[in-house]
Amino acid sequence: MGLVQREIEAAGFSTISLSMIPELTASAGAPRIAAIEHPFGMTLGRPGDAAGQMAVFRTTLQAMEAMAEPGGVVHLPFEWTSTEKLALGPPVAPPIARYLARHPWALPRFLNRTPPPVSGG
Amino acid sequence: MMAKKVDSYRFLHGIEKRVLKRWAGLPGESQIPWTPLATPLSKCTVSLVSSAGIALKTDHPFDPEIERRDPWFADPSYRVVPRTARTGDIQVCHLHINPTFAEQDLNSVLPAERLDELAEMGEIGAGAPSHYSYMGYTLRPDRLLGESIPGIVRQLRAEHVDVVVLVPV
Repeated sequence: MGLVQREIEAAGFSTISLSMIPELTASAGAPRIAAIEHPFGMTLGRPGDAAGQMAVFRTTLQAMEAMAEPGGVVHLPFEWTSTEKLALGPPVAPPIARYLARHPWALPRFLNRTPPPVSGG
Repeated sequence: MMAKKVDSYRFLHGIEKRVLKRWAGLPGESQIPWTPLATPLSKCTVSLVSSAGIALKTDHPFDPEIERRDPWFADPSYRVVPRTARTGDIQVCHLHINPTFAEQDLNSVLPAERLDELAEMGEIGAGAPSHYSYMGYTLRPDRLLGESIPGIVRQLRAEHVDVVVLVPV
């Protein structure tokens, strides 16, 4: 998301990412980040929780107005307190997980984000 | 207010946690682009970009087979999600998350209704007519950045957008 954000900012728009992994988004050189400690797939909040979603979204926009320096990160004050066991992962393991289980020697490529050259079409 | 520090890895475990910590430590870009906020938010037109792979059910669907054939690369295309789209109008294509929450309430990942409510209350100028989505996982971002983002940027300009909020999943 950080790379996409950079392109849009460079094209002349003021941008902010609402990131659950702010360390990763920041490492990509994102211009502005609002950090949120929410589970994956629920960036704004739970389904049906309009008030919670609004609080997160409004705070994100307000954070943006206060940022004057490239690379700013604001940590939003929301706490995810539920101890409910949620199925946060995909229903089926992603293709890269299955690929690496069969090709464990490719793990360093994955860790270094250096995919193999594209083969054929 | 207590100063909160977000734990980037709270909801990650095992190999995923190891991989994302590693990625966060890789050398990145030193120059950060910057477009200052030119007008107060109460006068800004705001658009949303989601990496959840959201498409209208009436639109051409994202192709998950691209990533199943080449696990380093996802469908690099994007879809326009009109501001009027509601949960029942969309489907989610993303092989790294549980799509259930977004399919129960689009606003959990693309807060189009919350945005329109802020516009009605005068806290922002307007919600843009269009929002955008793409499939957020790829280790080969060239086509996403080189083909899809320019298309999004053209439409953002045509709709006089000032502010873009990006929402990863």
